Amino acid sequence: MDNCIFVVMETAEGVIKNVGLEMITPAKEIAAAKSLKTVAVVLGKNLAETAKQAANYGADAVITVELNSDYSSDEYAFAVAEICKKYNPEAVFIGATQNGKDLAPRVAVKLNTGCASDVTGIKMGDDGKIHFTCPVYGGTILAENVIDTLPQMATIRGGVFKKCEPAESTAEIINENITPENVKTKIVDVVKEISESVNLEDAEVIVAGGRGMGSAENFSLVKELADVLGGVVGATRAPIESGWISRAHQIGQSGKIVAPKLYIACGISGATQHVTGMVGSDYIVAINKDEDAPIFDVANVGIVGNVMQVIPEMINEIKKLRA
Amino acid sequence: MEILVCVKQVPDDSVKIGLNSSGKPAVDGVTMVANAFDTYALEMATRLKEANEGTITVVAIGPEKAKDALKSCLAVGASKAYIVNEDGLGDMDSLTTGYTLSKAVAKIEELNGAKFDIIFCGKETTDCTTGMVGAQLAERLGIGCVTGIVDIELKDGGISVKQETEEGYNVVETSLPAVVTVNKPAYDPRYPTMKSKMAARKIPIGEISKADLGVEDDKIVPSVKVISLSEPPKKQAGVKINEKTFEDTMAKAMEILKDAKVF
Ligand SMILES: Cc1cc2nc3c(=O)[nH]c(=O)nc-3n(C[C@H](O)[C@H](O)[C@H](O)COP(=O)(O)OP(=O)(O)OC[C@H]3O[C@@H](n4cnc5c(N)ncnc54)[C@H](O)[C@@H]3O)c2cc1C
Repeated sequence: MDNCIFVVMETAEGVIKNVGLEMITPAKEIAAAKSLKTVAVVLGKNLAETAKQAANYGADAVITVELNSDYSSDEYAFAVAEICKKYNPEAVFIGATQNGKDLAPRVAVKLNTGCASDVTGIKMGDDGKIHFTCPVYGGTILAENVIDTLPQMATIRGGVFKKCEPAESTAEIINENITPENVKTKIVDVVKEISESVNLEDAEVIVAGGRGMGSAENFSLVKELADVLGGVVGATRAPIESGWISRAHQIGQSGKIVAPKLYIACGISGATQHVTGMVGSDYIVAINKDEDAPIFDVANVGIVGNVMQVIPEMINEIKKLRA
Repeated sequence: MEILVCVKQVPDDSVKIGLNSSGKPAVDGVTMVANAFDTYALEMATRLKEANEGTITVVAIGPEKAKDALKSCLAVGASKAYIVNEDGLGDMDSLTTGYTLSKAVAKIEELNGAKFDIIFCGKETTDCTTGMVGAQLAERLGIGCVTGIVDIELKDGGISVKQETEEGYNVVETSLPAVVTVNKPAYDPRYPTMKSKMAARKIPIGEISKADLGVEDDKIVPSVKVISLSEPPKKQAGVKINEKTFEDTMAKAMEILKDAKVF
């Protein structure tokens, strides 16, 4: 199977992570331009169903590698590198999840090739190379990168590309047996502290609170406003570090990148690390008592005022409107 | 225990960096600091050292002025510092940086007369944000690596670390030597005192040149090349409402939001 693009699929409890299926879309575009095959490489446990799923979402062929866990650094890096050495793909796309970003750099060294990181755009260049758009300086600058070595590797950010419509597929499924060597690290315990599932990426309305909310108690106003609007609660790093709300709500460079229809920022200053995660929102409302707060530079409507006054009043008004 | 912390000097991350008139990152005049995640790594290393024993060495690849970042590290826990002079190393990508650092590790071990037990890196830098160098250094050295950790302790001659995950954390164990990359832990890095700053100023910073490293030239050719830089489309600021009274402000805001069919 020479001349192919690999799309590496991460699974969790038998389900392929979204970004894996999303990456098939740009991979197929590149494949079409260069007459390549798009091959899904699915790693993990009990892969019969997941392999089928990858095929249905558009992969021309699927390679499965059964491993003992959903992820473990040494095993996965070894397995992906071995598969690459066997099939010599032109490009390898890996989801820019936490595990993907752990895996990709190690595979890159094993294959002695370059890797673009956290890619938000992919296109075929006239030079016959894939051009990858990567955010740098916390997203305030976009770098267009090419990779001079093969395979051209990249970690791809989730939510950037759309999955294809699934269709029943008869694509070939190849099972590869690989026994990882040189395993040095061992996951001895997996601790789940955060039970709530917070779906910020798909939310149409997000109400986010920052340090300006003042306390855990006051932060509940953010939740109240979100509830009235049928939205999801977001946060800056500050309230998370103060323990007012769990890490699952963090928006920004080290949290989620979101683009809802409506984003209401309450008591948030507008640091670049936060703004980079929400500036793609369709309509931004900011409430801040400091009229010079940088958040107002990206807001459609900026309300200069105290959150403790503005939010309750806003809730009242919305309730009236919806009555 | 011998600990190494890898540090990159970067533009202050609280400054929004755009492009200048010649299309390059507008970093002139921006204060240079130690990368935030590297300062978290140094703090974690310092706490580990204080709870046990050991020596912390810091290393940076960079220009002469990157010594400032190293000096700031010497004031908050590190006791030795080396700068790898970037002259002759050319443009670097993560792959060549990981390789160069692996050579620097060997050189410093030779100079120190001792092998490193744990090498700390920040999870990513705030300028290039690739988040790859730590793992690539470990790969080059052929030793274990855990990325994105928020806590560390010694256990059975190796280490046990907490690796942050979406739902909580993994407890990961590995033997030594090992590389760890550090995410933001629950604590903040300490500040230097006048006294620690004065003491830091007296510590000489070891200089390592390209020739000292013995890097192979074909291994420092970057494979990732930047073709062009651009700024993402700017969001236009809309209206800012700041009337004389709270009631007027709210009335105006609600009117605009209703008209825009936001609520
Ligand atoms: C490497 C790195 C990564 C980071 N990643 C992230 C990230 O992913 N996400 C993130 O959010 N941050 C991140 N940060 C932190 C970021 O730099 C800022 O510190 C953070 O976003 C600030 O949060 P804030 O706006 O809530 O707090 P502050 O900056 O303290 O702002 C509080 C605001 O509230 C206003 N205010 C206070 N009281 C009131 C009141 N009563 N009514 C109205 N307004 C009021 C103030 O005027 C101020 O503007 C990161 C930082 C670093 C170094």
